[in-house]
Amino acid sequence: MRREAVAWERAAEVQAAARGWRRVGAIDEATHARILDAFPDPCVTPGVVWRVLTGAMVAAIALCTLAALALTFSRSSSAIQGLLLVWGAACLLATDGLEASPRSARRGAAGATSALGVALVLLGVGLFLAETTHLRIDDAIDGLLVATVLAGALAAWRWGGPLFAGLAGVAFFCYLARLPHGRLLWLVAGAALTGIAARGLDAARLAPSHRLGAAVLTVVGLAALYAAANVYSLDAASLEHLARLAPSRDDLPAGTRLAAAVATALLPLAVLAWGLASRRTFVLDTGIVLLALSLVTLRHYVHVAPLWVVLTLAGALLVVVALAVERALRRAPGGEIAGFTADPLFADERRDRLLQVVPAVAAFAPPARPAAPEPGFSGEGGRFGGGGAQEKF
Amino acid sequence: MNPDVVGAIATLRAREILSSEQAAFFDRVARRGLVSVRFEIRALLYAGVLLVTSGVGVLVAQHQDDIGPLAIATGIALAAAACLLWVMRRAAPFSWAEVPSPGVAFDYVLLLGLLLVAADLAYVEVQFTLLGPRWPSHLLIVSGLYLLAAYRWDSRTALGLALTSLAAWRGLSIGLVPAALGLGVAADLRASAIVLGTLYTLAAGLSVRLARKAHFEEVFANAGLLLLLGGLLAGALDDGPAWSAWLLATLVVAAGVMAAAFRLRRSLYFAIGLVAAYVALVRLLFQPFRSGPHADSVPLLLAALLGLAALAVVFWAHRRMRER
Repeated sequence: MRREAVAWERAAEVQAAARGWRRVGAIDEATHARILDAFPDPCVTPGVVWRVLTGAMVAAIALCTLAALALTFSRSSSAIQGLLLVWGAACLLATDGLEASPRSARRGAAGATSALGVALVLLGVGLFLAETTHLRIDDAIDGLLVATVLAGALAAWRWGGPLFAGLAGVAFFCYLARLPHGRLLWLVAGAALTGIAARGLDAARLAPSHRLGAAVLTVVGLAALYAAANVYSLDAASLEHLARLAPSRDDLPAGTRLAAAVATALLPLAVLAWGLASRRTFVLDTGIVLLALSLVTLRHYVHVAPLWVVLTLAGALLVVVALAVERALRRAPGGEIAGFTADPLFADERRDRLLQVVPAVAAFAPPARPAAPEPGFSGEGGRFGGGGAQEKF
Repeated sequence: MNPDVVGAIATLRAREILSSEQAAFFDRVARRGLVSVRFEIRALLYAGVLLVTSGVGVLVAQHQDDIGPLAIATGIALAAAACLLWVMRRAAPFSWAEVPSPGVAFDYVLLLGLLLVAADLAYVEVQFTLLGPRWPSHLLIVSGLYLLAAYRWDSRTALGLALTSLAAWRGLSIGLVPAALGLGVAADLRASAIVLGTLYTLAAGLSVRLARKAHFEEVFANAGLLLLLGGLLAGALDDGPAWSAWLLATLVVAAGVMAAAFRLRRSLYFAIGLVAAYVALVRLLFQPFRSGPHADSVPLLLAALLGLAALAVVFWAHRRMRER
């Protein structure tokens, strides 16, 4: 990243914190103004809606122009490949230009051009490998995965996008899965990546967006570690399906399955413990998700009860646990236990409540009624629509 | 730890911009000495509601013969009643103004209770066919219940469910969007979308003007504008003889929405209007080039130019809104 871009990001972090302090009334307007003066951020930073709108329009312009050029000049596959590579490179150059100016760095255009640039270059590389070099499909896939790792890593390093770091991480593990002993490589590389990325989480020398990228890579590393250690993944040979040659089941050393079963149980608990000890909420969230996956794995092997009982009890348990945690935190001295609180602190509570409407309505909205109701409805084929559940009965 | 904020707090304290108490508290939060788990509690509650409703769905689907319809309906009703009683005990008195939520769990227990009521109604209707051939009307009843709950307990989520249930009663859902963008939507559905969209948008305006749950405006208006402009666009994208009239109507309404959004400083409404106008104009650009030597490339280039113009409008509107 450019040095000045890093400085803008650091100032933006301080200003965002100050807005949170002001929002909850912890500082007055005059203090807020003095903080903004002390840490000036020269970037124009519109709200999310404006940024998304700008990004969508820039993407529409770039894609329409590319399609028009492709239809006019490129009738052969090699010409299309060249056009994709040139247009992708142009988008990447445009990103670099946009990122250099405080007037355009955070308007949404740079995000759109960087994502389009990487996608078009990778598409061009993929077509080149598959059609021009006539590589075998396995070699072409490997080449494309390596290119994705490089492109994602370079984009994350240059512009700081955490999504690019995630893309590079996922492609890296996909590539490892294709090598011999892919599962073992996932275990080793997952642990290594988690350890390395976690060291960057609080590093002052890194730009804020690079620290965010480190958080994304930490989650990718943990996910890879868990996927390789999970007993169902071992039984179903999920990773081995990605390899060039799937090894026979006899290759597994004795005790592997038992070790996987133990790891399936212990890994989520270890991640949860790490999250609690370090008070990193994203690690805690990852631990909760992994624990849920382990419980699903357990249910796959051990049918403790019918599905509806498991779902209902698990749901009720979650609600009860959440209520108990919230109540315990509320009633604790100072409203906190071991550094955790149920208070929103400096978060924008009103915005969060507004945002929670969207997933709830999307998940629970009933399906539309059929165009014309059948006369004499008998109940067959009806849907559990009012509750939002999708089961037919 | 956020090292940038930690460093800034030290600087601000040294310059006496922050008091020592303020600096100590902010520093503790920035160093993760105090961390909020409010999001995690919310996520657990949401997942819990999702699992319980899914469990009830599976129960009804797989075991209705074993347990019997009356037992199932009674069981779901009791669970719903328990949730709603909890909500009634915790709720603050009714007010037309925004009422702070009594706790982080309140919205989710209310949601669970309402979903169970709706599921029970649907189940009773299917089992006992109380409404006969008019069985989809149970969606109207459910929508009414959601609406009442939204106003009584000040829940935007319940309001969102009320609006989507009412739309579902008229045969509209998000699943129709792909059809509206190219495969065609039946004329009666288009009409329903436009009527409902207009009603919702009017409700948004009235909420603010009459100061009756004015904070519901965003839910009403976003749902209304999506339905209204979606319905008009579906007509404009159709190949029927009246597409040009639909297109004109879309452009007029989108322009009106953008002007109103600009005046009210509502960026999301402005974005919805702009996207609708852009799609309608792209449809217009493609019309003269349906055949010919440059049938493909010329309209695409024109669409790109139109995108540039739209981008200029976005920048201008953002700057002017900030200045105001």
